[in-house]
Amino acid sequence: MASAGDTILDAPARAAPREPAWYPYLLIAPAMLMLVVVSLVPFLYAIWLSFHEAKFGRVKDFVGFDNYLTLLTDGRFWNSIGVAATFVFIAVPIEFMLGLAGALVLNQNVRGRSLLIPLLFMPAMMAPIVVGLLWKIMLAGSWGFFSYNVLERFHILTDTSVFASPDLALYALIFVDIWQWTPFMMLAFFAGLQALPLGPYRAAAVDGANPFQMFLHITLPLMTPLLAVIGLLRFIDAFKVFDTIYILTNGGPGTSTETPSILANKMTFEFWNIGEASALAVLVWIAFFAFCSVFYQVAKKRLNAF
Amino acid sequence: MTRKIWCFAAALAATTVLAPPLRPALADEAAFYAKAAAPYKGTTIRVLDEITPLQETLSKIVPDFEKETGIKVEWELLNHFEVINKGQADMLSGRGHYDAIMLHGSQLGPMLSAGVILPLDGFVADPKLMDPGLNAADFIAAPYKTTAFYDGKQYGFINWNYNHVYWARADLLNDPTEKAAFKAKYGYDLAPAKTIEQMRDIAQFFTRKKGEMLAGKPLESDFYGIVLEGIKGGSTFSNLWVNFIENYGGDVLDKDGKPTFDTPQVVAALKMWRELWTYAPPGIAEYSLVDVPTVMGNGIAAQSLAWSDFVLGIDKPGVSPYAGKFVYGPVPAKAGNEAHRHADAEPSVTVINAASKQPQATFLFLQWLADKRQQDKLIEMGQGGVPIRESSWALPAIKDSTNPTLFAAMKSSLDVAVARPKMEKYPEMFDAMSGIAQQVGLGKMTPEEGAKEGQATLLKLCGGKSCTL
Repeated sequence: MASAGDTILDAPARAAPREPAWYPYLLIAPAMLMLVVVSLVPFLYAIWLSFHEAKFGRVKDFVGFDNYLTLLTDGRFWNSIGVAATFVFIAVPIEFMLGLAGALVLNQNVRGRSLLIPLLFMPAMMAPIVVGLLWKIMLAGSWGFFSYNVLERFHILTDTSVFASPDLALYALIFVDIWQWTPFMMLAFFAGLQALPLGPYRAAAVDGANPFQMFLHITLPLMTPLLAVIGLLRFIDAFKVFDTIYILTNGGPGTSTETPSILANKMTFEFWNIGEASALAVLVWIAFFAFCSVFYQVAKKRLNAF
Repeated sequence: MTRKIWCFAAALAATTVLAPPLRPALADEAAFYAKAAAPYKGTTIRVLDEITPLQETLSKIVPDFEKETGIKVEWELLNHFEVINKGQADMLSGRGHYDAIMLHGSQLGPMLSAGVILPLDGFVADPKLMDPGLNAADFIAAPYKTTAFYDGKQYGFINWNYNHVYWARADLLNDPTEKAAFKAKYGYDLAPAKTIEQMRDIAQFFTRKKGEMLAGKPLESDFYGIVLEGIKGGSTFSNLWVNFIENYGGDVLDKDGKPTFDTPQVVAALKMWRELWTYAPPGIAEYSLVDVPTVMGNGIAAQSLAWSDFVLGIDKPGVSPYAGKFVYGPVPAKAGNEAHRHADAEPSVTVINAASKQPQATFLFLQWLADKRQQDKLIEMGQGGVPIRESSWALPAIKDSTNPTLFAAMKSSLDVAVARPKMEKYPEMFDAMSGIAQQVGLGKMTPEEGAKEGQATLLKLCGGKSCTL
């Protein structure tokens, strides 16, 4: 005789008949097919090209690891990695900290928040090309609005211009990136803060915790998974930055702002050396894969993220 | 009376015998194209060219080809950088979207290496397609011969004779106060520079800060002695190569195509290049070939070396407040080396894409463009232009131009203009070398270091072999 508990446990199985084994695969098939077509196939093709001499649209001989060796012994490749690393390790932490600070302020029910939030979306909503043109108009040598009215007028920068200076151009690009992406980080963190449970805060208040202690011992631990994911995504995105640099400096002056994305674009569409450009793309992918794997394991074990 | 009639009849006969060449010849030309195009009537060809004031004028003439031949032309104009990227991508992909694409002379090396340009020799030898009245001997010889031909084959006619000219503010050079001050300081008369050293002196003399006097008026903002193209890419390096290094007696490659960038002449030219950058606006390293004429048109620099076709778009009323106040001259030579002067030029050709599906119709169009009728019309409609034919210099739009120094300067440049050698690795070379040009110009690298690094870069790029095809 079946017990009352058995009846309750069996009920859902009777209500929803079991789907065939292939049913879940059918559901994800369109997305997988799309991924294979637009992502996996080109990637595998790039790997294949990287082992060939491919110039001017013609795939010639199999050259083994020659393209990789050429790149790894080329100072210009390492310079591009250095530029991207400088860009990422300055821009992303600043965006992260400013974003978190801004989110904490927004979370305090500041006046005009409902007006401020849509405004904060604007930089991130702009196409990177538009951002590039906007800052070109602001900072271009001699005729840029800010260059002319502030930097030149007040003799802050008179012997060169921001994007013409090998010492300043990269930092100007970092500034533009911070301008564009800090609001996005702020809103993402703000959304996370809004979703935090109130219980721990009430308990902490009863225990006499001050706001800093609450932030350190409640907010940060609860937000860690979100912070890790947003930080990682932003890191990857910043490393791949192309559009704004292409518009503002195209990698110059010299190679002072030439990131791997800019170099790969030049190798492909200016030098038509598609074999080496593919090798560069694969090398950058390997570096990212290794970094993301390590980050994932660390975040999973130490930060309880993912 | 009878005598008068006889005289009139004789005059009429003489006129009939002596004068017909012009009108009937033009009619013959049109008839030739109508007949030659008959098999291709109704077809459509796509042509990609770049947008400058010259092409904008030409676009008004292109419909005449459609009327004469029945061949429809889709004529697409893009900016300098886009026409290079899109045109090359189409040719190299083998897609053949464009039947004909304008290539700057320097692009020919990579495209010839890739085998994506259709040689014209088969069409030229075909009497059904080749216009007997084209008169190729009338093309300005050196740019035509060094651009359109390679390894015994013809790849195009000449389409655009882009060239550099010296460009200066006549109102400043003629100002009595400035003239007196200049003479007192440098010991010779202020006038458009004929030598690079004079160009340097003028640049130094006119570089002034806000509040200082210029032609008797206080400056409201800083003023600069010279503006040059300094962007990475573009034609920055070709300016340095031809207008400076070659005029200093050096070269980037020797006659066998081997790099010669570390010679004393190159170092001397780089020193002058660096010095001139100190008299230029602070954004010089951002300036492209489009920005240079804009800066001159805005009146913040005293002189420049610029592409003459861009000058045509700036030096006209309503575009620049200084229109009519400019003077032009030949690209200055190195003092003492005037007999061997050089001027940067980029003779360019529209070529037939090897993947074109309508090569014969396209050939007829290219030939028609280079024909004297169209060239004359182009010059007249544009109230000037950049000639590809020697006979164009005598046209009223040029001969009687209100801007005679510009056309005299153009002619002087085209008299010595040649295409750069055809190099497979031209894009890599120009990218790397324009970076060095920037670094030297900005003072981040000494001229000696620039020469050494440039030589090493060229040797590495060319693998110890000749850099030319």
